Amino acid sequence: MEATREIYWNIGHGVVLPMYLLVTAAVGLMGWGIWKRFNHWRQGKPLNRFDRFDERAKRMIAEVFGQERVFRVRDGGIFHAIFFWAFLTLFIGTLLVMVQADFMAPVLRTNILQGRFYEGFSLVLDLAGLAALLMLAGLFVRRFVIQPAGLEITDDDYRVHALLFAILISGFLIEGARMAATEMVTNRSLALFSPVGMLVAMTMANVSPDGLLLMHKVLWWLHFALVLGFIAALPYTKLKHILLVSANAFFAPLEEKGTIATINMEDEEAEQFGSATVADLTWKDRFDADACISCKRCQDRCPAYATDKPLSPMKLIKQIGEAAEAGQETSLVETIGEDAIWSCTTCRACQDICPANNEHVNKILEVRRNLTLMEGAFPGDEVRTAVGNLEVNGNPFGMAFAARADWAEGLQVARVNEGEQADILYFVGCYASFDKRNREVARSFVTICNAAGIRVGILGKDEKCCGEPARKLGNEYLYQMLAQENIETLKATGVTKIVTTCPHCFNTLSRDYRDLGLTIETEHYSTYLNRLIRDGKLTLAKGEAQDCTYHDSCYLGRYKDIVAEPRAVLNAAGWRVREMGKSGYDSFCCSAGGGRILAEEKLGSRINVARVKQAEATGVPVLVSNCPFCLTMFEDGIKTGGCEETLKVRDLAEIIVERIGGGA
Amino acid sequence: MKILVCIKQVPDMESRFKPSGDGLWFDETDLAWRMNEYDEYAVEQAVQLKEQLGNEPELTVLSIGPDRVVEAVKKALAMGADKAVHVQDPAAHQKDSWQIASIIAGYAKDKGFDLIFTGMQSQDRGSAQVGVLVAELLDIACATTLVGFSYSDGVVNVKRELEGGLKGLVTLQLPALVTCQLGLNVPRYPTLPNIMKAKKKEIEAIPVANLLSEQAVAPTAGFYPPARKGGGVVLEGDVADLAQKLVGILREKTTVVR
Amino acid sequence: MKALLVCDYREGKLLDTTYELIAFADKLGVAKAAVLVGSEAAVPQFDGTVYLAEASALGEYNPAAHKAAILAAAEKEQPDYIVFCHSSYGWDMAPRVAAGLKAGQVTEVTALVDGGFEVGCCNAKMRRSIKPATAKTVLTIQAGAFTAVQPAGSATVVKLDIPADSKGVSFSGYEPAEAKGVDLTKAEVIVSAGRGVGKKDNIPLIAELAKALGGELGASRPVVDSGWVEHSHQVGTTGQTVSPKLYVACGISGAIQHLAGMKKSDFVVAINKDKDAPIGEVADVLVVADVLQFVPALTAQLQK
Repeated sequence: MEATREIYWNIGHGVVLPMYLLVTAAVGLMGWGIWKRFNHWRQGKPLNRFDRFDERAKRMIAEVFGQERVFRVRDGGIFHAIFFWAFLTLFIGTLLVMVQADFMAPVLRTNILQGRFYEGFSLVLDLAGLAALLMLAGLFVRRFVIQPAGLEITDDDYRVHALLFAILISGFLIEGARMAATEMVTNRSLALFSPVGMLVAMTMANVSPDGLLLMHKVLWWLHFALVLGFIAALPYTKLKHILLVSANAFFAPLEEKGTIATINMEDEEAEQFGSATVADLTWKDRFDADACISCKRCQDRCPAYATDKPLSPMKLIKQIGEAAEAGQETSLVETIGEDAIWSCTTCRACQDICPANNEHVNKILEVRRNLTLMEGAFPGDEVRTAVGNLEVNGNPFGMAFAARADWAEGLQVARVNEGEQADILYFVGCYASFDKRNREVARSFVTICNAAGIRVGILGKDEKCCGEPARKLGNEYLYQMLAQENIETLKATGVTKIVTTCPHCFNTLSRDYRDLGLTIETEHYSTYLNRLIRDGKLTLAKGEAQDCTYHDSCYLGRYKDIVAEPRAVLNAAGWRVREMGKSGYDSFCCSAGGGRILAEEKLGSRINVARVKQAEATGVPVLVSNCPFCLTMFEDGIKTGGCEETLKVRDLAEIIVERIGGGA
Repeated sequence: MKILVCIKQVPDMESRFKPSGDGLWFDETDLAWRMNEYDEYAVEQAVQLKEQLGNEPELTVLSIGPDRVVEAVKKALAMGADKAVHVQDPAAHQKDSWQIASIIAGYAKDKGFDLIFTGMQSQDRGSAQVGVLVAELLDIACATTLVGFSYSDGVVNVKRELEGGLKGLVTLQLPALVTCQLGLNVPRYPTLPNIMKAKKKEIEAIPVANLLSEQAVAPTAGFYPPARKGGGVVLEGDVADLAQKLVGILREKTTVVR
Repeated sequence: MKALLVCDYREGKLLDTTYELIAFADKLGVAKAAVLVGSEAAVPQFDGTVYLAEASALGEYNPAAHKAAILAAAEKEQPDYIVFCHSSYGWDMAPRVAAGLKAGQVTEVTALVDGGFEVGCCNAKMRRSIKPATAKTVLTIQAGAFTAVQPAGSATVVKLDIPADSKGVSFSGYEPAEAKGVDLTKAEVIVSAGRGVGKKDNIPLIAELAKALGGELGASRPVVDSGWVEHSHQVGTTGQTVSPKLYVACGISGAIQHLAGMKKSDFVVAINKDKDAPIGEVADVLVVADVLQFVPALTAQLQK
């Protein structure tokens, strides 16, 4: 007997018209539900996320069908990915049946669903259905039995799980009934290609032929109704994420990671800076709240949440949604809480992991802009003092600006601000210039460069803070003032290459300053050294192999994708890296980002101590970092955490400078 | 109501000071400038009073010096002053307190200010005279070292900071001048809209020659660093000897061990 | 040459700083007279004339009347110098008297130098010498700069009759000091504990030294974080920024955040085992010793 089946068997072709009408109605209802929501999103300020259509579409297709973001967290991620592909397969299968029945057959008079193809078709769909059912069961157990901490269960979760189970199970029951009445009797060998269906059919062996027909018909219409319900109710259940999360992959920002809007200070009409109320949010902010599926992956990775600060990135997204429902005048600070707003270190772990491509960080920064620029608020008096120091002396310590280059005494550096020539401009940064511990990094870096025959230039006392901590705390005005001065100084030197030992200066000069007119190529010293080593300009003596663990600074790893190069440099120096559990893109913040280097950590427990303990747990004696904030935080964390006997923290530059010289 | 607040731009105290060529004041190279800290409290209090009275009062900020002082003046405008007066004087540092006070009094005498705020002293010269001298020249009531201020119905109630945490409670009738101590209030951080508004506020420039009529009565004879023992003494040795040595040094170099 | 010394009087008592005025006049080598707005019982012990106006009639704070009293005494004595203590009374009154006499004023004199009076400036980082250009000069002297003489002698009291007109300024009384958390910003001496102190149990040693020096206990950040000392004692960018006359850093290495909080101190003594500790860069005296051994020895020495 040939491998095929009669479509609309037992149902009759008369169902086609009402079926299409009902489906159209359901889709119409779905569309209407989305349309209503669309009007809600539209109340937000405009934002262009429709440019570069091809890039966006490509990314969306890759993410949706590849499930890459879903996959990144194994717990639940694998189950969802497989469930998605399985359900997708079932959907395509159903589409093929529809195409065959309503187009191929009547118009082209062909049957694609026959023979070998149909055999494969049947098998694939059966396995897909089984996979979907098993994955759904897994997800069910995870949510309702294991109940991971922080994962909320709502009524919607019960309903959607029930709906999906019902659709899948009824699907198999329909198949079983049909097969029991047809293939099991007339085409046993074909039945083998639908193994699950066959098993179900076997359980129906004792049902009468009329019983089977009735059961099949009822189940078919039930299944159809459930699917109609699935479609029509989609905008009102968590299933809306099918559309919204996919769309958010399209709407995701195409700019470099960490890009923040540069406020136009010349705009005399501007009355509001930053986000005070819901009226200041963009449509994307409202959309993100709807796209959020409360998976809590962001919350799980937030260093502030992990140490009992009042900040939860997930809650923040939801609160913005609630505020948007409450009305345009709703205050964002009151909704979210000032402590939560200031607690963020902008480590980007939330945004990095979010499967819905939500943008948490810039929402917080815009609220901070309102707090700082419109209200003159600070997270603490110590921050106010530091900001005052930045204004007067161009560094947060209040040290005389004229002393900024004192660290370079006795070293071979070119004073580029005085007209001397150099191969690279070393943008030192405030900590390496003034803090005793960090000056070692500056000195080491210069020594390494000199050993590689590179003439290092510095701006000396004309260098000012890059402005990043001020910017991240919301003070766009002070940031732009500092930036303009630095850019003018840099341009006047004529240098063509800037290297910095601070990831924050690196991000700011290479990306943020571009909006203000700086186009000079800027690099972080870890990639710079890596290239010098690779090109043979810098040779390292390997010496005795040493063990260390490496901390990926947020502003290098997650922001700039610089993960491999520092490790390569360590290996070139003969050091072995034993990774912490949270490394690479999963790295755990040192606590000092987001301008918090200027602030005191008053709430919850210490983030830096938590990270130091993670390093200590690897059992190696040395923690290596390459950021002045991380170095400062870890020195402090080692003391406070009582790890002085077991762990030392060193900067990459300090490690490398010890190994300069020829030899293997 | 008309209010005047007098401010001075001073170098940031973290700067390294070197005597200038004439040896009478500091060289201005490599100095970072800021509003005198005491004056920040004066400006804040003046702005708070203006706000208390429904923004009806007109608040003028005045400063004397070269063009760079305009930056400090702009900060006062951004904090809430309505207009400014810049007495242009590239050699302000050569004038003594008496001359400075006479310049201010010369400006203020026919303006009918009800209340004048100044800082209690400047961070660079620290003479603590100008405020009181202006009050004397204008023959108006004056109290110094304010750590508390309140106003109602033409009467000013202040708290003066005395030694040992004690405070003196004083009432002044308008017109009056008060000099402000650190901690009188919390000077506001200018908001961006106010910074932008300040750019449009009027700054009247008056050449100092129009207002100066006095000679110096307490001129500087010299400006120099203290005799330094060369970067700090390092003491090592027997603990008991060291203790004795240190007490001797403290007695000699400080006023806290008698 | 003659100096008219203006005595400080508060809450019914003569303040001891009067005897610093006398010491100053002696150093200057001039004849002395004094003026006091106070009471007969409070007249200072010294051999000379004291012009007395009644505080009970004029009020302890009444700038116009006090100015009149001082000018009346000056009229009689024709002094070359009118000397005040640089106190909340002195710096309030001195410019008024200077204006009244059209005299130059030199504020907070710390020393006599060839060529005039020396004062501190630029946060005590620099010194300035001033040569008065007027016949009479008003001076205020820094508290403690001139060691007080012992009270000795008996004064001749001349009563002044001064009208009580306060010209728009009226004094309503005193508000006593509040007992609150440590305010290090007003402390004249601070002795701070750092990690070198070792453990919480050793903090009392440091507190003892602070007491012996008449000062307050301060602390570096790690010490506060470890819970050895309560937060209000913290000195540094995230604690309090202080500017005492004497700062003693015990076992503090000198991280920049701490230095930023105390480098305005007039005189810094650092006690540290490490000769190269960064605190040495701001210390006037670096004692290379174990904190736990040196501090008790220093305390004992001070208590002698």
